[in-house]
Amino acid sequence: MNTEYAYSVFMSIRHGLLALLSQGSRHGYQLRAEFEASTGATWPLNIGQVYTTLARMERDGLVEPGEQDEQGRIVYSITPDGATEVGRWFATPITQTERPRDELAIKLAMAVTTQDVDVAEVVQAQRTATMRTLQELTRSKRGLDSPLDVAQTLILDSKIFQAEAELRWLDHCEAVLSRRSLQHPQEEP
Amino acid sequence: MIDRDPSPVPSVVEEDPGRDLVVELADVGRVHQEGAQAVHALKEVSLEIVAGELIAVMGPSGSGKSTLLNIVGGLDRATSGRVVVEGEPLDLLSPPRLAALRRRRVGYVFQDLNLIPSLTAVENVMLPRELDGVRTGKARKEALAVLGEIGVADLGDRFPDELSGGQRQRVAIARALVGERRLILADEPTGALDTATGDDILRLLRARADAGAAVLLVTHEPRYAGWADRVVFLRDGQIVDSATAGLVTAR
Repeated sequence: MNTEYAYSVFMSIRHGLLALLSQGSRHGYQLRAEFEASTGATWPLNIGQVYTTLARMERDGLVEPGEQDEQGRIVYSITPDGATEVGRWFATPITQTERPRDELAIKLAMAVTTQDVDVAEVVQAQRTATMRTLQELTRSKRGLDSPLDVAQTLILDSKIFQAEAELRWLDHCEAVLSRRSLQHPQEEP
Repeated sequence: MIDRDPSPVPSVVEEDPGRDLVVELADVGRVHQEGAQAVHALKEVSLEIVAGELIAVMGPSGSGKSTLLNIVGGLDRATSGRVVVEGEPLDLLSPPRLAALRRRRVGYVFQDLNLIPSLTAVENVMLPRELDGVRTGKARKEALAVLGEIGVADLGDRFPDELSGGQRQRVAIARALVGERRLILADEPTGALDTATGDDILRLLRARADAGAAVLLVTHEPRYAGWADRVVFLRDGQIVDSATAGLVTAR
């Protein structure tokens, strides 16, 4: 696992937990269960990771520990700084160079289950950013002489297909979500 | 709610006030009457396309992509707003003048290739020019020149059923380009072509834009929209966002 990837996974977990805490105070086991439920158990977390992440977020002023519940577990709450951080995360598209595809999936999963987040806006902001990346990749490809630069062309094509896959997935998310909101107009996530 | 990064470089439209405007849509609407119900296919769409620009329109089925293209091409009429093509307000044109503008200035490429099966490739390309009163010899010369430009000069004498899908689409594009057309309208021109052949088609449209045409492309395939200077996203008949490539092509 390279450092950049590890960092992006770490940041995804951090932001994912913070998004859950924006819905109300929770203790570590609750956070783990809800994180896995939101992401369809695609990213299993161990409880140690949860508490390490909470401790760092406490140090950074994003969460604060409260009282222990009857079973001796500490309940964490989000601070105003933490709430700002969640808002910033949802509002900022992930750029292709940072490429934690997992983070985008986690962000969408969290956006769906977090109140007061306009999922359609999150999807559209990401779509525009990813399309811009695709335009830049295509522009680079146009600058190549394809019989001569076959290897470079294929590498660019690989990135083009990745960006395309992401855009198709975003279209799919939007279609599924709009169908769901038509079927359950009263049901607020 | 969401802070979008402004595009790093201003679009051509903002940059050059003396630009060469080919298409101007201002607050264009299109309402279809279905029984007692009014269906808004397009709502207050504003869009400008300058010479040399390739614009892609994306959106889910029923978002108004094809309606937009048909209105720009004069195949459908807006029910509100203003549509100006090459300086001519389309709603003020008489049907014969509209037909003449369509024939002379606008080239169409559709998904259904609709080449005439009993005519050779070169005869298919000559057809719009002949309909326009150009002599056969001159029309043939022009057609061969365009076929050469897009790399299928050697296929001129073949009939459509003797061509591959990609070759047929090239001939259809040649037919859309022949003459002095500065506006190319392409509705899913890559149809069922494989991605490498589809890329070739986009390369042709891009080259035509770089040579000074305005190109409006409707596609649901992100990889082809990636060739555009600007990608416009349509939802329920409205433009919801657009992505502009970071650099402006040197022209």
